[in-house]
Amino acid sequence: MDKTPSEPILEIKTVSKSFPGVKALDKVSLEVFRGAIHGIVGENGAGKSTLMKILSGVYQKDSGEIIFDGNKIEKITPIESMKMGLSIIYQELNLVNTMTVGENIFLGRFSEMGGRKGVHTKARMLLDSIGCKIDTQKEVSELSVSDKQMIEIAKALSFDSKLIIMDEPSSSLTADEMKELIKIIHDLKNKGISIIYISHKLDEIFDFCDVVTVMRDGHMIDTRDISAITRNEMISMMVGRTIENEYPPRPNYVGETILEVENVNTKILKNVHLNLRKGEILGFVGLVGSGRTEIVRAIFGADNVKNKSIKLDGKSININNPIDAINHGFAMVPEDRKIQGLLLQFSVEKNISLASLGELTYYGFLNEKEEKAISERQIRSLNIKTPSGKTRIQMLSGGNQQKAILGRWLELKPKILVLDEPTKGIDVGAKYEIYMLMKQIVENGGSIILISSELPEVLNMSNRVITICNGRITGEFDPLQASADEIMEKAFEF
Amino acid sequence: MTTQSIISFIRNNLIIVGIFILAIITAIVEPNFLTTENLQNIMRQFGPLIMLSLGMTFIIMGGFIDLSVGGIISLVAVVTVSLIDPIGQVAALLVGITVGLICGLINSFLIIKGGALKQAEALFLTYGMSVVYTAIALIYTGAASVFLSYSKTSFSIFTAIGEGFVGPVSVTFVIFMVCLLILYIIESRTYIGRSISLTGGNMTAARLAGIPTERTIVFIYAVCGIMAAIGAVVLASRVTIASPIMGKGYETQAILAVVVGGTALLGGKGSVIRTVIGTLLIIMMSNCLNLLGVTTYIQYMLRGAILILAIWLDNRKQYSEGY
Repeated sequence: MDKTPSEPILEIKTVSKSFPGVKALDKVSLEVFRGAIHGIVGENGAGKSTLMKILSGVYQKDSGEIIFDGNKIEKITPIESMKMGLSIIYQELNLVNTMTVGENIFLGRFSEMGGRKGVHTKARMLLDSIGCKIDTQKEVSELSVSDKQMIEIAKALSFDSKLIIMDEPSSSLTADEMKELIKIIHDLKNKGISIIYISHKLDEIFDFCDVVTVMRDGHMIDTRDISAITRNEMISMMVGRTIENEYPPRPNYVGETILEVENVNTKILKNVHLNLRKGEILGFVGLVGSGRTEIVRAIFGADNVKNKSIKLDGKSININNPIDAINHGFAMVPEDRKIQGLLLQFSVEKNISLASLGELTYYGFLNEKEEKAISERQIRSLNIKTPSGKTRIQMLSGGNQQKAILGRWLELKPKILVLDEPTKGIDVGAKYEIYMLMKQIVENGGSIILISSELPEVLNMSNRVITICNGRITGEFDPLQASADEIMEKAFEF
Repeated sequence: MTTQSIISFIRNNLIIVGIFILAIITAIVEPNFLTTENLQNIMRQFGPLIMLSLGMTFIIMGGFIDLSVGGIISLVAVVTVSLIDPIGQVAALLVGITVGLICGLINSFLIIKGGALKQAEALFLTYGMSVVYTAIALIYTGAASVFLSYSKTSFSIFTAIGEGFVGPVSVTFVIFMVCLLILYIIESRTYIGRSISLTGGNMTAARLAGIPTERTIVFIYAVCGIMAAIGAVVLASRVTIASPIMGKGYETQAILAVVVGGTALLGGKGSVIRTVIGTLLIIMMSNCLNLLGVTTYIQYMLRGAILILAIWLDNRKQYSEGY
């Protein structure tokens, strides 16, 4: 590892910030050194994002002091902070989809760059400097998530950034795209640019961060050189208690075949066949865009795929829409929690009762008493942390939101539960709870299809793994027998 | 009530408070405001508009919009009035309501089959349909107005709707109360009512959780069509004439009434009860401004300003409780 340079570019001294009812940051102090890659880890709600938003000028701090590059920062706007050399790349990328790559990099600064021509020339130079070959005339909507990330980085560089903050950049990247990103991060470091790298994925922190800060409940717990901390130490600092294992023991309740799916063909999918056994957890491994989500959407009726054949318990069934699927005992926790899963402005209670409303209806009328009972039961049994059932679900942490969606389906006691990225953006503690729930479901005779971008998760939880690439199923493995490399090779068999 | 809670009430209900202040000022400056005659006048204008606004509430709660109600009113009015003599008043009334229902069904069919599942797309689509319905009305009457005639009967349903009273309350008011009660029960107690706000809250998530979102869209447009038809009958009965362009402008007034009442323009949250308040307020406002001698053009401008204010206020609110 490179030696850590000693001069700080950013000093945060006893910064506090409160929101109504919550102390989001409590006297947080932190130093980031020039040319260092500084990891920040912590569970959801630990205060990482609030701190970053104060740095970028989205929020104002209540007290404390921030010194960036020798200047004290008091009140700044996001644009001012970028001009000072401090850029943030948010989890939800901030690009204009309908504009070209070049235009996005220099958004709002066309005339300074000498018009359209200048924009594209300078964008080309920037992209070349990070070894990125994307055409600057391409529309951003055509790019992959990782390419978009590159554009964001180029945009940050265009401001001569001295410090770039990356807020969970890897959550939607595949392994290969991740390698690209790591290369670029190292390049940036060699140019003397400091990086603050926020991530839930501890492997990444150990892979390439120089220093790591652990936050919990608005407090800075500790900052250490990466060589001076172990994975288990890090986890127990994050959750405030010791977690023995990241995964529960693999459940093993596999029984007879319950589901047979044949002939799923769409623009993306090519002749997909698969089966699922009672009590089995079947893992899907594949890149984002490989068709792994399309397969479960076709089975669940979310996309209407014609001429597919689905047999449940040996009997042919027709699924043309989600209602059919639910009536046959299917349930699906979709990929994008906020867009496809939650009604963010609605109460926790209504989000939980959503799938059970049909059962609560008598001659067209809803039984609201039963509705409340259902929600309260799920809140209790899944240990969903919420002030009350009436609270907006938006106010809950990602892990608790996900548990509410799970509760929505568990109430129906589904035979087949599809979990598409169930632990994305969720902290370690809540992840474990979700794994335990999966175990409980298969124990009670349910079957699970698990899709996840986190290979260790799939390998540790599944009884069987299939690999998907380019709309085809390319392999089938027993995770106890196969190595991760063997499996990944099949997932890249284009 | 503490000072602070009064301030926060005023802030959250700026428009309602504003219109009340306007009413108080008008009552002081203009003694005609509080006369029985003027209040009856307010109630007469309330009649047709509230019917539309009630239907529009479901549409907006469901996350959609319907600009075609103006066209539906014109079409239903001319069809109903012209058919009274040939087929009798009850049959004419039924045909009129059916025409409204069919218009609503056509709207929802086009929205679903055309994939206009975003509010903005539905806005353009129903605007187009408004032009179509108005054009049909114009072709049907040859661009002429049709007079409401009572030639064949001594007792007319239409006279009753236009001028009649049941005890102390007008027939229109009774119709309104019945509609309100039915819609309120649907909204607050039934499965389809819940589906409306869920569809408006997040159609994708609702659909994936088994809510029949397409059926919900058909339902809200059908209800809106029927309510527009009832509004058309009330309006034609009152003015005793049906013109093929008489519905023009009603759609914006109805949307204004719904939004001023506090139903979120982007869907999810709302109530027909709020719409009753919203409708009363905007009619009272225009009544006050008329009495104070403010010209119509300035009133149009004020209406626009209030719509913008209502949307801005709703966006600014911070909710901690869920819908």
